[in-house]
Amino acid sequence: MFKNKFVKALVAAASIALALGTTVPSSHAANTTIQVYLSADTNIQDLWVKTLVPAFKTQFPGYDVNVTFDLHGDHDAQETAKITAAAVLHKNPGVDLIDGGFVTTLGAAGLLYRPTAGLLPNIKDVNKAVLTAGKGGIPYRGSSVLLAYNSKNVQNPPKTLDDLLAWIKANPGKFTYNAPNGGGSGYAFVQTVVDKYLSDADRTTLVQTASPDLQAKWAQGLETLRQLNKYTYGLNGTYPANNAETLKDLATGLVDMGSVWSDQFASAIKAGTMPSYIKVTQISNPSFTGGASYLGIPNSSQNKVGARLLANWVLSPVAQNLIVGGTLNGFPVIPLSKLDPVITAAFTGVDIQHLRAGYLSANANDLKSKWASIVPGK
Amino acid sequence: MALPPVLLVVAFVGLPILIGFTFSFGFTSGPNRVVSLIGQQIHTKDHWWGTFAAYRDVIHDARFAGDLILTLVVTAISTSLVLVMSLGIGVYQRMVGGRIATIMSTLTLVPLFVPVVISSWAIHTFYSGDGFMRTVFHHVGINFPTLTSTTSAIVIGTIWTSLPFAILMVTSGFQSIPDALIETAQDAGAGFFRIVRTVLIPLALTPIIIAATFTAIGILGSFTIPYFLGPNQPTMLGVEISNFFGSYNRPQQSIVMAFIVFMAASGIAVAYIWANVRSAKQSGRI
Amino acid sequence: MPIRLSLYFFIGLMSLFILGPLLWLAVHAFATNWTYPNLLPDSLTFHWWSKVFLDSALGTAIKNSLIISPIVVLLSMVICLPAAYAAGRLNYFGRKTFLIGMFAANSFPKIGLFAAIATLYYALNLMGTFVGVVIIQLLGTIIYMTWIPAAAFAAIPRNLEEAARDAGASKIRTFFTITLRLAMPGILVAIVMSFLASFDEAQGSYLVGAPSIYTMPTEMYSLVQNYPIQVAAVFSLLLAFPSVLLIGIARKHIIGGQLAEGFQIK
Repeated sequence: MFKNKFVKALVAAASIALALGTTVPSSHAANTTIQVYLSADTNIQDLWVKTLVPAFKTQFPGYDVNVTFDLHGDHDAQETAKITAAAVLHKNPGVDLIDGGFVTTLGAAGLLYRPTAGLLPNIKDVNKAVLTAGKGGIPYRGSSVLLAYNSKNVQNPPKTLDDLLAWIKANPGKFTYNAPNGGGSGYAFVQTVVDKYLSDADRTTLVQTASPDLQAKWAQGLETLRQLNKYTYGLNGTYPANNAETLKDLATGLVDMGSVWSDQFASAIKAGTMPSYIKVTQISNPSFTGGASYLGIPNSSQNKVGARLLANWVLSPVAQNLIVGGTLNGFPVIPLSKLDPVITAAFTGVDIQHLRAGYLSANANDLKSKWASIVPGK
Repeated sequence: MALPPVLLVVAFVGLPILIGFTFSFGFTSGPNRVVSLIGQQIHTKDHWWGTFAAYRDVIHDARFAGDLILTLVVTAISTSLVLVMSLGIGVYQRMVGGRIATIMSTLTLVPLFVPVVISSWAIHTFYSGDGFMRTVFHHVGINFPTLTSTTSAIVIGTIWTSLPFAILMVTSGFQSIPDALIETAQDAGAGFFRIVRTVLIPLALTPIIIAATFTAIGILGSFTIPYFLGPNQPTMLGVEISNFFGSYNRPQQSIVMAFIVFMAASGIAVAYIWANVRSAKQSGRI
Repeated sequence: MPIRLSLYFFIGLMSLFILGPLLWLAVHAFATNWTYPNLLPDSLTFHWWSKVFLDSALGTAIKNSLIISPIVVLLSMVICLPAAYAAGRLNYFGRKTFLIGMFAANSFPKIGLFAAIATLYYALNLMGTFVGVVIIQLLGTIIYMTWIPAAAFAAIPRNLEEAARDAGASKIRTFFTITLRLAMPGILVAIVMSFLASFDEAQGSYLVGAPSIYTMPTEMYSLVQNYPIQVAAVFSLLLAFPSVLLIGIARKHIIGGQLAEGFQIK
């Protein structure tokens, strides 16, 4: 009786599973649908959903673009696991084009289609250094981290990193940066302080190759950051978790200065969530880092043709104009000369080839880890 | 009859856990190809049984010791406080009863239905720099401390989310004690606390221990509460596991930590069984 | 008297501790801005409610969750209740191991398993399917649907069943009118806890379901993190109201007392 019941139950379960499984509609209808996955903050979602995708569909009406958005990269771990599992098992990863921080990691693991001018013609306009740094990712926009300050309380913002560090100590509790593993704006501050004590040659090496031996030289910068614990907001070595929290602390007046992404800041001003008396400036010696955001086409994607078409279009002057001139205020990855002169005239950003770059992802991850063990709460 | 859930768990949970276990010892091929491809600081086995390198990495990492101690301490403190509070409410419901008790034991179940992210936000706004506590005390002239981003906030948050289930178990346990027993003790002259100590608690011991066990294991592996309410470092192991896996891209070390949490949780489960069997033996049921 | 007083004080403190954060948050649901240290918000509005209700993705996500979670609970009952009965009544070899096994499997931090689970689901062609999401949510309910009913079944006095058999009732009738009825409070709690476990499950559902199937927690967390605190306040009210209702209805069975009787593993 036991065995009979059990077998019956198993058969019943199996047939239900089969029936349900096969009635789920396939999510990829032919090759005219492109699945885009965004792992970023809401300003990037707006860029794609409100600006880029409609413009692309106007130019290529035969294509459909589905955008999946993951806020703050909360589910990067799941998505990376999914894409790598799909690659190894030769299954459909469910995405064709990715815009997210983990693209360079996938690229370094060899899981992305490597862009060549043959199949992606517009790539030849992109700055070579930025392209190589992507390890198989396709750079499509840039932004840099800036110093945001409350102009009502701070009349003369610091001009160099040393000035900034002095200001922080002179004004306890008025500056913050987010934990580097939570957002790029805080990460940029950490890397910039660390870079202060490194030579240009060392900095370049860390940007291009994984260099565990050079990491010993971070000690001085990390010690400087640890000593700032009693001067940053909270006065006890606790830091906001991500980019959005730093912006919120600035907007609500809890701090007078903080490091922010140029594009997030511009979007917040335009949306009215950041008061207009909060302004931004860049420091020097060294300046805050910036860099490109990369698109990735997984090797196992089921619609590489469509993805390449979209990626190529994003690199065209039409799309780059939208990235620069729209609400995002991003930096273009193609030379300014190719853009609409009206837009270039109003462009106050930096040419992407002159941005100080962030470390290679392997080194960046190590820096995040070292910061966490040396700085907070100590 | 017991086979179906066992099969399900073995297939979908047991197998991944086993695969993860081999990965922690450096077996990077086969089903572990996927995660070895992208991770950093992966150690591959150098003996037939694997390698201890990943375990060494974790144990020698200064953060791990701090996190482990914090996790165990917070679990111990929170579980104890949860027990005290649920015992208090349970005793009140049983010995005093009445409308207030009923309302209390009903209302204290409300956090059960609130998802943990919302709970974290609620507690955050209550104790933050511009939250309720500071607002109210400000009007009385006291400078109440900002509790967010502290270990105390983690304790408060974990107590808050664990209370409903514990109260459920404990009040139900006390309710099943016959009135006759309590009345007899009262007639014999036993005071309030004596009755609680010698009649109520021993008879409801099993549900109390169940409440303690489930609470402890839940707090041990918690992520959302310490992430939203706690300091950056040291933090609970649940958050550290996520950091190592995601931000620092060290999946192997992350799995090692996960196993350590797992072993602690299993230890608590075994302790529960032992306590259960012992109490059953003592009361003559076995 | 002092005992009474301290009890009242204790009750008052507990009320503040438990309900305080929820009530404070609830007021935020109607607030525009709230400047510290005012005791009241600057002004009131329904703006945040429209933000939540007009979010198109949320409607679909809630619909998905409301379809998937009941199915998960039903399946869980079908699969686990027989096992719970066996664990509660029969003394078979490995019974303790079975219960501990279910317990332990639930306590492993999921994030370490993503890659392994993704590989498994791809190999079984379950990725992105309805069935896949059901299974992953089902796994989280097993602990509740085995332990709690097992204890409930174990608590039923055998002599009651024997009396019914002696009176002439068949095995099935005895089971349904005596056994199941007496175990019902425990099974009810298991159903409630399982439903919650499935409804609130976020990590695994995202791994398997996205982007074709989104469940409510994913969308809710996205909204909560995206907007100011007021949106989290709206959700807290939306989720707390039906729960207070549910508890009120089920309270008689749950707090009634039969639940925890005989919770043991012999």
